[in-house]
Amino acid sequence: MSTTLEIQLTLPLTGFTLALEHATNSRALGVVGPSGSGKSSLVEALAGWRRGARGRIRFDGATWLDSERGVELDAARRAVGYVPQDQLLFPHLDVEANLRFGCTGDEALVERVLRVLEIEPLRTRGVATLSGGERQRVALGRALCARPRLLLLDEPFGALDRPLRRRILPYLLRAQREFGAPFVLVSHDPTEIAAVCDEVLVLREGRVVARGAPSQVLAPGGELDEGFENVLRGRVGAVGASSASVDLGGVVLEVPRTELAPGECAVISVRADDVLVARAAPRGLSARNVLPARVDDVVRGPAARLRVELAGQPLWVELTEAAIDELELTRGAAVFVVVKTRACRVLASAGPA
Amino acid sequence: MFDSALVDALRLSLQVAACSTALVALPALALGRFLARREFRGRTLVEALAALPLYCPPTAFGFLLLRAFRRDGPLGAQALGFDLDVLLTWRGAVLASAVMSFPLVVRTARVAFENVPPRLEHMAASLGASRAAVLWRVTLPLARNGLIAALLIGFSRSLGEFGATVIVAGNIPGRTQTLATGIFDALQVGDDARAVQLAGWSALLGFVAVWTSEWFLRRSRSAV
Repeated sequence: MSTTLEIQLTLPLTGFTLALEHATNSRALGVVGPSGSGKSSLVEALAGWRRGARGRIRFDGATWLDSERGVELDAARRAVGYVPQDQLLFPHLDVEANLRFGCTGDEALVERVLRVLEIEPLRTRGVATLSGGERQRVALGRALCARPRLLLLDEPFGALDRPLRRRILPYLLRAQREFGAPFVLVSHDPTEIAAVCDEVLVLREGRVVARGAPSQVLAPGGELDEGFENVLRGRVGAVGASSASVDLGGVVLEVPRTELAPGECAVISVRADDVLVARAAPRGLSARNVLPARVDDVVRGPAARLRVELAGQPLWVELTEAAIDELELTRGAAVFVVVKTRACRVLASAGPA
Repeated sequence: MFDSALVDALRLSLQVAACSTALVALPALALGRFLARREFRGRTLVEALAALPLYCPPTAFGFLLLRAFRRDGPLGAQALGFDLDVLLTWRGAVLASAVMSFPLVVRTARVAFENVPPRLEHMAASLGASRAAVLWRVTLPLARNGLIAALLIGFSRSLGEFGATVIVAGNIPGRTQTLATGIFDALQVGDDARAVQLAGWSALLGFVAVWTSEWFLRRSRSAV
């Protein structure tokens, strides 16, 4: 965040106490952790919905909570845009009235939100008639229309299946770019976090067990893993009939074309078990991406894996210990990673960087 | 079919029920809202006191009102310095009906408010709405059908009120005689045909009011 968020919080929950201390000025803070680890309680405490929170919360120089001094700012005065998992759209209002609920008369902003999140065709619809993905976009739009100083996104796509989540994710990235509000994103999905956050906290039973950049903190083999997806960023180069090339920073990755346009920034995901490693550049392969990389980290054991550096970006590869031994993969070894074009998924594209 | 005595009783019944519902509306809805959202010491006591007219004989409340408003009572002419002119008037009937219908309105309103998810109110606050705006823009619209049902139930109860009314307002044809007290009067003088006529009208009005309130209650459950 361009502004600083300082949290020093104690909040008794059922079975354990959420005890967290963190200060950040990152633009997008991710919070991951298993169910019941206190993620939603943390977000509700930030939103001012939780009574009984003790400690201090400061954001952008304003004190939201200081239990020692008896300060507890009302939810209405924190100017946070909260998008909960259950969206909490107002059932008696149509989409547009929901969007305008917290709006302070800025017509241009409402129109921009409608356009960016592609909810214009829904504006007169009752919220009961919306699909899951539409509800999420309306909830995000409603939060944005209130001009929040901080967005709190609690599993905003949690109720959706993975393919739909992947389709919604670009809207979040677009909102991040277009409206610029810093946010806290709670998610079960490491890919989501890696795609949009620049810092991540891992919570377990109310405590922070890891923190840092997503590429450092989120790795396959952890308890968050359900088919780990790497997230890579690059700039779109040539766009062909069925594929597009994305420059990752000196290394070009061929990805499915989708709706990419030259010059755009693209966020690409690649599953760790979809990547092959070779010591020499293989020939005669159907896979379109054979890219030079360097081994950065080797993890042995039943969930053996490598981290390679691909154009300065970390890429996890899942493989067997026998393969590590046979190829003599050690730290610093030069390798080629092999990725099929269709194993690359374009998570999002954004305008020029 | 519509003799003037019947018309008087019908008009008075509707007038008393409407006025008593209007009198009860604000305090009963406010108490319903308070009980739906606030936890405090002595809450059970407040709930029990508010429900008392449901379980005590209406005649007991009639008697208490009579004592309170008679000349030397705490709300009588001697204590206040002027006469509120409640006893043996249609205003007395309104007061008696209001007291007896109060708990039903509170109870139904409380359920209506409880059915509004508090998280929707929190959300409205997070979007910058003041407490009054949350109430006006979220709570009341979402509780609306339940609240209309609450008032209709109060109206129905007022239409049927007898025990307290007859003590406070008496049973004076054309002045304080309602359908309910009129039936009693007809029985006293052995006019069964008239009693049947009045009972029929009572049942019809009561049915329409209760049926409408049920309709609103049903809608209130599907609204949120």
